[in-house]
Amino acid sequence: MKPGAAAAGGDAAAGLISSPNWITSRLDDLVNWSRANSLWPMPFFPACCAIEFMATAASRYDISRFGMERLGYTPRQADVLICAGRVPFKLAPMLRRIWDQMPQPKWCISVGACASSGGIFDTYAMVQGIDAIIPVDVYIPGCPPRPEGILYGIMLLQKKIKGESILDPTLRVEQLPDERGMFLRPAAVDEQSEPFGNSVHQTRSA
Amino acid sequence: MLESYVPLLMLMVLVIVSAAAMVGLSHLFSASRPTAVKSQPYESGIPPFGTARERFDVKFYLVAVLFIVFDIEVVFMMPWAVTFRQLDILGLGVLGGLLEMAAFVVVLVVGYVYVWKRGALEWT
Amino acid sequence: MNGASPNPSAAALQARFGAAIVGVSVSCGDTIVVVARERAHEILRWLKETPGEAYDYLVDVTAVEYRDRERPLEVVYQLWSLPRRVFLRLKVELPKQEPLAVDSVVDLWRGADWLEREVYDMFGVAFRGHPDLRRILMWDGYAEGHPLRKDFPLRGRFSRAEQVRQALTKTPEAHHSVEELAVAEAFQQLSDDARQKFERAGGAGGA
Repeated sequence: MKPGAAAAGGDAAAGLISSPNWITSRLDDLVNWSRANSLWPMPFFPACCAIEFMATAASRYDISRFGMERLGYTPRQADVLICAGRVPFKLAPMLRRIWDQMPQPKWCISVGACASSGGIFDTYAMVQGIDAIIPVDVYIPGCPPRPEGILYGIMLLQKKIKGESILDPTLRVEQLPDERGMFLRPAAVDEQSEPFGNSVHQTRSA
Repeated sequence: MLESYVPLLMLMVLVIVSAAAMVGLSHLFSASRPTAVKSQPYESGIPPFGTARERFDVKFYLVAVLFIVFDIEVVFMMPWAVTFRQLDILGLGVLGGLLEMAAFVVVLVVGYVYVWKRGALEWT
Repeated sequence: MNGASPNPSAAALQARFGAAIVGVSVSCGDTIVVVARERAHEILRWLKETPGEAYDYLVDVTAVEYRDRERPLEVVYQLWSLPRRVFLRLKVELPKQEPLAVDSVVDLWRGADWLEREVYDMFGVAFRGHPDLRRILMWDGYAEGHPLRKDFPLRGRFSRAEQVRQALTKTPEAHHSVEELAVAEAFQQLSDDARQKFERAGGAGGA
C-alpha cells in the first residue's frame, strides 16, 4: 500500500478513490450502517456498572435491537470495548492489552462515573478515568447510569460511527503507548486527574 | 441421467462464489493494522506464558475413530437399502441381498465386540 | 464494659496465661481480649487446640491504626468456634516505636495466609514464619508505602501520571503465583522432541 493511500476503512477502496464523491459517500453509508448496527461488545466489567449493563442487555431494555446481544468475551471478534466499572491500577495493563488486541474498527464506551473519571474513588488505587489508558469515544455518566442512559450512550456512538468516512486518515489508527509505556502525556494525565467537586473537600488528607 | 446433477453443480458454483466473495471483499475492505501486542495470543489481558499444548485424554481420539468406522458402515447400508427390492444376488433374490449385507455387518460386529470388551467404549 | 457478660474463654485465658492477658472488654456483645505480642502465637494455639475452646475457624486477621497517633497499632484476630458457636476477638498491640512484627498463625489456620498478606500490604506488619509474605492487593513492586496507615495520603504519594506509568509498565500480573509457574513448568515435562518441535514453531510468544 502506498503510504498516502493507507487511509481509514477500506485500504484498497481508498487507494482507488482519493477524493470524496458519490461512490465514496454511498460506500460510507453502507459501511457505517453495517458497523453501527452490529457493534459486538467486548465486555470489560470490573464493578457495579456491569450490573446495569446486564440489565440493559436483558429483555426489558434489550441491546439486541442494536445488534449488540453477542457479547463475546474475547477482543478478537469485538467492535466496541464497553468498560463498565472502576478500574484499579492493577487492572489497568490488562485493559490496555485487551484494547490493543482488538482488531480495527474499534470504539470504546466508558460506562459510569468511575470509568469516565475515577468517580468517587479518588484514591491511591484507582485509575482516574480510563481515557488515561485507552482512547474513549463515548462517556456515559452515572453511578450507575440507568439502562436508558446506557442505551443513549450506545445511540450516540452509533451517530458518531455514521458520521465517519473511509477517506478520513485520522480514523482506524492504532494509538499505541509511547516508549515509556504511557498513552497520554504525563501532564495530560495529571491535569485530567485533578480532584474536583466533592473529592476536594471531603477528606482531611486531600 | 447426468442432468439430475446440474442443480448440484449450480449450488456448488454458488457456494464457491459466495464464500470467495465474502472472504475476498472483507479482505479488500478491511482495515488491517497489525501491532506486536495485537498479534500475541489472547490470555485475558495478561502477557501469554507457558504453552497451550496440554496433554489430553486419548478417549476423544477413540470416540472419533470408532464413529468414523461405524458411520461408514451405515453409509454403505444406505444404497443397499434403496435398491434392496431390485437385488438378485446368488440367484436368491432379496434373500441374497440380505445375506450379503449380513456378512458385511457380521464382520463389523466382531470388531464391535472386540472394542466393547477392550473397554474402548468406557468414557471414564 | 457495657454490662454484658464476657465469653468464658476470657476467664479461661486469664487463668491459664495470667499476665500475658493485658485486658478483657466487651463491646456490642463481642468479647475482646488484648494479649501481649510475644505470647500471641502460643495463646492462639491454645485457643485452637484446647478441646473446651476449639476456635477452629479464623474469621479474619486485620489491623487498626487509631486516629490518636500515640496509640499502638493493633493486629486483630477474629475467632469463631464452629462446634460451640462462640465468637472471640483477640488483639495484639504493636507499639509504633518498634518494628511492626508478630508471629504468623498460618501453621494454625491455613486461611491466615492471605489474611496476613493483606495486613502486611496495607499496614506493613511483618508476620514471622509466613511462607510467602508479599503484597496481595497492591502489586509487588508498589513503592508508595502501606496504604491504610494514617500517614499515607489518600491519593498516594506519586503523581497520577507516575502511578499510571507504573501500573502500565510494571505489569503486576507478570509475577505469577507458584501454581501458575508449575503449569508453565509442566512444559518441561514434554518429551524432548515435542518440546523442540514446539520451540521451532515459535513458542507461545513472549511478553
